[in-house]
Amino acid sequence: MKKEFFRLIISLLLIFFFSSFASTQQRIITIATTTSVENSGLLEYLLPHFEKKTGIKVKVIAVLVHAKELELKAVKEGWFVNRKEVCYNDFIIVGPLNDPAKVKTSKDVISAFKKIAQAKATFVSRGDKSGTHIKELKIWELTGINPKGNPWYLEAGQGMEKTLFMANEKDAYTLTDRGTWLAVKPRLKYLTLLFEGDPLLFNQYSIMAVNPKRHPHINYEDALRFIEWITSHEGQKLIGEFRDKFGNQLFIPNAK
Amino acid sequence: MEFLIDAFKNAFFLIVSLDKELLEIITLSLKVSLTALFFASLFGIPFGAFLGLKNFLGKTVILILLNTGMGLPPVVVGLFLYMLFSRSGPLGFLQLLYTPTAMIIAQFILAFPIVTALTQSAIVKVDPIIKLTARTLGATPFQVALTVIKEARYGIVAGVIAGLGRVMAEVGAILIVGGNIAGYTRVITTTIALETDKGNFELALALGIILLIISFIINISFYIIQKRGIPPNIAWL
Amino acid sequence: MALELLVSNIWKIYDNKPVLKDLSFVFNKKKVYAIMGPNGSGKTTLLKICALLEKPDRGEILYLDSQKRPLKKDINLFRKITYVFPQVGIFNASVFDNVAYGLNIRGFKKKEIISKVEDVLDFVGLSHKKRQNALTLSSGEAKRMGIARAIVIDPEIIFLDEPTAFVDAENVKIIEKILLQLKDKGQSTIIIATHDASFAEKVGDVILRLEEGRFLL
Repeated sequence: MKKEFFRLIISLLLIFFFSSFASTQQRIITIATTTSVENSGLLEYLLPHFEKKTGIKVKVIAVLVHAKELELKAVKEGWFVNRKEVCYNDFIIVGPLNDPAKVKTSKDVISAFKKIAQAKATFVSRGDKSGTHIKELKIWELTGINPKGNPWYLEAGQGMEKTLFMANEKDAYTLTDRGTWLAVKPRLKYLTLLFEGDPLLFNQYSIMAVNPKRHPHINYEDALRFIEWITSHEGQKLIGEFRDKFGNQLFIPNAK
Repeated sequence: MEFLIDAFKNAFFLIVSLDKELLEIITLSLKVSLTALFFASLFGIPFGAFLGLKNFLGKTVILILLNTGMGLPPVVVGLFLYMLFSRSGPLGFLQLLYTPTAMIIAQFILAFPIVTALTQSAIVKVDPIIKLTARTLGATPFQVALTVIKEARYGIVAGVIAGLGRVMAEVGAILIVGGNIAGYTRVITTTIALETDKGNFELALALGIILLIISFIINISFYIIQKRGIPPNIAWL
Repeated sequence: MALELLVSNIWKIYDNKPVLKDLSFVFNKKKVYAIMGPNGSGKTTLLKICALLEKPDRGEILYLDSQKRPLKKDINLFRKITYVFPQVGIFNASVFDNVAYGLNIRGFKKKEIISKVEDVLDFVGLSHKKRQNALTLSSGEAKRMGIARAIVIDPEIIFLDEPTAFVDAENVKIIEKILLQLKDKGQSTIIIATHDASFAEKVGDVILRLEEGRFLL
């Protein structure tokens, strides 16, 4: 943990150090972000709006970091300032209307999964090594149950929409991201949201600026401008409207 | 290029080592297609023989329908069955969607017209003298029919094999009604269709090679049987 | 059981031309009747009508039992008469299976079939070919097989349509011998249609010339 933290700080500082030697005619800021955000295509979609509006060019660098605790620690220790929450995505369990495994009354996601296994209720898995699938497998690991091979555990091997339709047909439970659920819900007559809220299922994305007190040469004003913009009504609206290539909503804006 | 060489190497290894998942998929493919073929033959051969032996009003219409059936696009069959079997459909209560049974039904629909039409064709090709000879030797109408079917046996078997070839190669119908669920409705063609770009490339490639081999065997059998079925020319006639 | 074939005032007309004109006859002895006439004279047509394979335009065919009562034209009657076509009608199977066909469909037991078939193959001189595919036989051999197939079921009446057509001289001799032996056994009525005069004279008990649609006696 400590080593990772140290690595995070060093890599971020190095990035900003080198980028500060860029030409002073063009206003530039640099964003470091996680691979999943980069891969989602969100920034590719958002940044042109900001660049057009303000004339500030944004460079994006992907850094392998994703941990709220690390972020908060970095702020506390003065490396970063102006941390603002931007958006989130979370996973939910959806299932049959009559909820045979009584998932709705579970106290956490691990016991919800346990109940499903015990009831041998049909569960449809993505089975395609996607982010959702990996999250699902992690939870199974924590329950100590290996669902693979059971007749009630169906691995679709397909995308979230297809998996949801399959669960709909088979009166099955499935783990889904909220964005896809919201998009497809009107076409799923036999499924309903049964469980949400466990921290294990939650991914918060925040933004923060490098502390100008520690590094005076960085373009702090423009960085602030970006933070302001992305948490503004306009930026938040754009985030909410963003869709991946399958038409799924990936991020839910939650800036305060 | 190296990617391809590596992929082939790994695919061959999967085959030679009798990888469990590979065998599971191949076994299910064979189970589904052979079961569908069995029922297609069970109904198709007698029906084809009937069409070949008897004339009745509306026979032409049926023959035209059969020929249309032979060329049915598998995805369309899948689509219609999906509409039939989904929960919102009239047969939704049977809960057949995404089951091997639905796949067998789909492939039955694809194979039946082929078996029937080729049986009818084989029956019609039998020299009319055979029917007459059977009758003059005292055969009942049913026995006459069986005799003609027996004379046409090579053509009929060729028809069954042609049906098998078609269903083993198709993917559209069984993908839609089966759903490619691992270990349950995942067969050779659906695996290749959906797993190729998901990092399961070696498995897809191995299955592709296996399917080509199966296809080759089917076609050779078809050729041999067709050839055998052509009786030696009666030189003196 | 003696089966009598009563042909009454048969007419058959093709393209407005009568091929059979008011023809009547009674076939009622265990003899060889040879119907003679040039090609196209209506021999085959007459044979087919007698064998109930075709219907006459006018007139009637009746089969009478020993009490002179007409028999119903059902499968039981059909199984008492048999017909050998000029092309024989060869099944894509071994010679043995071809000859055994009539016995198989009548439900004979395997042992009996084997003994009967082997006997009749011996009678026509085809024992050495019994396992061979019947389609590979020569024309003479095929005709002999056709005859064997017909007689092994012990029919009351055997119709032979041009038994020597397409056959080489040597096989004609063999077929003549077979028919003479059959005649001696006296178990069936044999009605032959042929244009081969010398063959008819050699094997026929009753020679019937078909001219202008009726018999010249």
